[in-house]
Amino acid sequence: MVVGSVSRGCQVVVIGAGPGGYVAALRLAQLGKDVILVDKGPRLGGVCLNVGCIPSKALIHAADLAYEVRHGEQMGLSVDGLRVDLPKMVAWKDGIVDRLTGGVEFLCSKNGVEVVYGSARFLTDRSLEVAGKDGMLEVQFESAVIATGSSAMQLPNLPFDGERVIGSTEALSLQEVPERLVVVGAGYIGLELGTVYAKLGSEVTVVEFLPEILPGLDRDAAKTLQRRLKKLKIKLLLNHRAVSHDDGEDPALVAIGPDDQEIRIPADLVMMSVGRVPRTADLGLEAVGVATDDKGFITVNDRQQTSVPGIYAVGDVAGGMLLAHKAYQEAKVAAEVIAGEPAAFDNVAIPAVVYTDPEVAWTGLTENEAVEQGYEVVTGTFNFKASGRAMSLEATDGFVKAIADAGTQQLLGVVAVGRGVSEFIGEATLALEMGAFLEDVALTIHPHPSMSEAFQEAVEAALGKAVHQVNK
Amino acid sequence: MAHVFNFPDVGEGIHEGRVVEWLVAEGETVAEDQPLLKVETDKAVVELPSPNAGTVLVLHVPADSAIEVGDALVTIGEAGEALPESESKKDSPRLVEVPAVAVAEVTPVAPVSGQRRRLATPRTRALARKLRVDLEAIQGSGAGGRITDEDVQRAAEAPATPVAPGSTAVPVGIAEVTANGEVERVPVSHLRKTIAGAMRASKQISAHVTHVEEADVTDLFEHYRTVKASVEASGGRFTLLPFFIKALVTVLKDYPIFNASVDEERGEILLKKYYNIGIAVDTPEGLIVPVIKDADRKDMVELAAEIVDLAGRARERKLMLDELRGGSCTITNIGPLGGVFATPIINQPELAIVGLHKIQDRPVVVDGEIVIRKMMYMSISFDHRWIDGAEGARFMTDLVNLVAKPGLLMARL
Repeated sequence: MVVGSVSRGCQVVVIGAGPGGYVAALRLAQLGKDVILVDKGPRLGGVCLNVGCIPSKALIHAADLAYEVRHGEQMGLSVDGLRVDLPKMVAWKDGIVDRLTGGVEFLCSKNGVEVVYGSARFLTDRSLEVAGKDGMLEVQFESAVIATGSSAMQLPNLPFDGERVIGSTEALSLQEVPERLVVVGAGYIGLELGTVYAKLGSEVTVVEFLPEILPGLDRDAAKTLQRRLKKLKIKLLLNHRAVSHDDGEDPALVAIGPDDQEIRIPADLVMMSVGRVPRTADLGLEAVGVATDDKGFITVNDRQQTSVPGIYAVGDVAGGMLLAHKAYQEAKVAAEVIAGEPAAFDNVAIPAVVYTDPEVAWTGLTENEAVEQGYEVVTGTFNFKASGRAMSLEATDGFVKAIADAGTQQLLGVVAVGRGVSEFIGEATLALEMGAFLEDVALTIHPHPSMSEAFQEAVEAALGKAVHQVNK
Repeated sequence: MAHVFNFPDVGEGIHEGRVVEWLVAEGETVAEDQPLLKVETDKAVVELPSPNAGTVLVLHVPADSAIEVGDALVTIGEAGEALPESESKKDSPRLVEVPAVAVAEVTPVAPVSGQRRRLATPRTRALARKLRVDLEAIQGSGAGGRITDEDVQRAAEAPATPVAPGSTAVPVGIAEVTANGEVERVPVSHLRKTIAGAMRASKQISAHVTHVEEADVTDLFEHYRTVKASVEASGGRFTLLPFFIKALVTVLKDYPIFNASVDEERGEILLKKYYNIGIAVDTPEGLIVPVIKDADRKDMVELAAEIVDLAGRARERKLMLDELRGGSCTITNIGPLGGVFATPIINQPELAIVGLHKIQDRPVVVDGEIVIRKMMYMSISFDHRWIDGAEGARFMTDLVNLVAKPGLLMARL
């Protein structure tokens, strides 16, 4: 690209190459559109591939393995001198990230998506400029898709310094296991990475301002997870507000407890995970009048259209559940709407998974939501303590709960806690999308032995027909 | 224990009907399976039998009222039994059709479930978007009110889509219905509405074209006359129609596209390997098309008997739903009622309909001489989207050839 300002035209410009952006760009290209994909770089794939879903799952798996090996005595496994080489683990993780981000680049080039690296800023509702390292490029477009995602929220009194107070991004590339790690925020990111370091040997304390972990989560699930966190020796301080970081001789996080008492939690490292904010700054949204909500997320309709005709938003920046798979679906909807197809985001359920130990997954309505919506709710639960597969995995913590409408017997939601439950929450989501009744699931043969059997058993329990447990 | 008997889901997308008459009264004792009432649906009048024995405690809907699947019809229990609150007559949902002001006074027992999503699979929802059908506005025919692809398709084809607020009720170019003198207002029957919807949908969907051919049926008629007496001697009625059915089936085998439907979504033509011939029947309430199943496997005497039976029961509106569906091609025998020829409308989702017109003695030229022959016109209306005119002409040439030469027809049976 030549220095100075160059002007180009295209049918659609997509801003941000995370799960929302690259999927939108690829689908648009498949639909015959001439697409420019703008990303700050250096690698495509956004938070998910670079510093989110994928790298965290790699570290979680490695940490699980280390933990299981150390705790395999009753299975007849004794290991002396297991050494955790964190730099090597991180390098392995980086290799996975490279492969995946390279895969996105490959797909873009094969589908004819032109990638431009730089920061985009709207000039008008039909043009934007991209500030790249080689100069400015002006892009005229017919439609634009904003997919800039979200970033970790920072508290003013606890700003990231990149060394002692860090965000999840840095926590994925540590070179040594901190002796004492304090995690601020008991959301899914804090709990997942807190568990990783606890398993790798850190003494972990999680500080949460609210009285509960994972707000909104099924209370039985939260209880099960909390019990397990305790077993992993993760200290949970609920109702504690983190106020500052003492970077002195004895570094510590200062927090205020429920009785307004100030406590110091010794911390070699503080990881902040108090929420995420939309990345909309410097996009020039005000200039074109794209409306945002009170938290700064771009408001969209079910066709992913913003308040400005021709401009769409997908993924985290459009609010709702901040999940890559939600972004995928929104991206496809936006692309198809732009191509003139009658698409809309009308999904019944968006599954969510927290990759803690045990995993927590849910889809559809929670029990509380179902009651709030006026359903007469019937539930059925199967506990992994009675599961042969769970026993053979030495992973009996957890359960599956099916939530249904007592009147029609329609399945409304599923909550699952346990080893590998992320793998069958998709099945439960399919059941919800297909409008399954309890009997549909109960009459579906599930493989034995597997963790997914618990879903069938839970549904049978809701029908009062459980076989492998005593019916209530 | 009192049981409420609801209007059952009788299948085939039927979700509404009209109570024609009650055959029992409140306080009357009924036996199991005793007919309780007559209900007119889109396609037939059916008698609904009592699911159990007992005393009729409440008739929830008066005669001549509209009902939907799931509506309470009757409560049957023991004489003098106290009724649960929710089963008393005044709570019947169909009867609460009162002005909005009055509705406001009713305190709902449970939160309104109106915001709940309609049950439909992702594919069906996508289809609804494509066909611009509002899922909230239609009734699902599937289990638990599930909306099927067929429900969506039917809604898309239905003529009377609810008018969106703010838009004009009368489409541009269509004259408003006004009464400029004395009029009698007659309610449109379910059957009439069904026919109206089907006819309009067929005209909208298919590219109708009609091809007419002339047949010399002198020999066929002679042949028929000799057979008729001996067949009818052993009871029953014998008509000319079975010959035409057999001739049609024979030609359909040679031209499978006329015995087909098209799945446009999948881009596939369904060439049917069965020959279920619909027979248009004129009834006092309107057109009904019962279907003769597997006409290729029945002999003409059997066909004649079946036509008499189906037509008779069609007039009495006593056909089973199963007898009205699954056709692959249709015959309309309009000739006895007069006319030179007509242009029948295709019975969807079929691709062709054959019209049999008046048989008449006419002078014709045979071998250079004018002779009197029994002549008739036969027409075929077919969907020009999938069938070319040349194909239609060849089809009819073969068909009249078979009809003209009963010997040839017999050779092909």
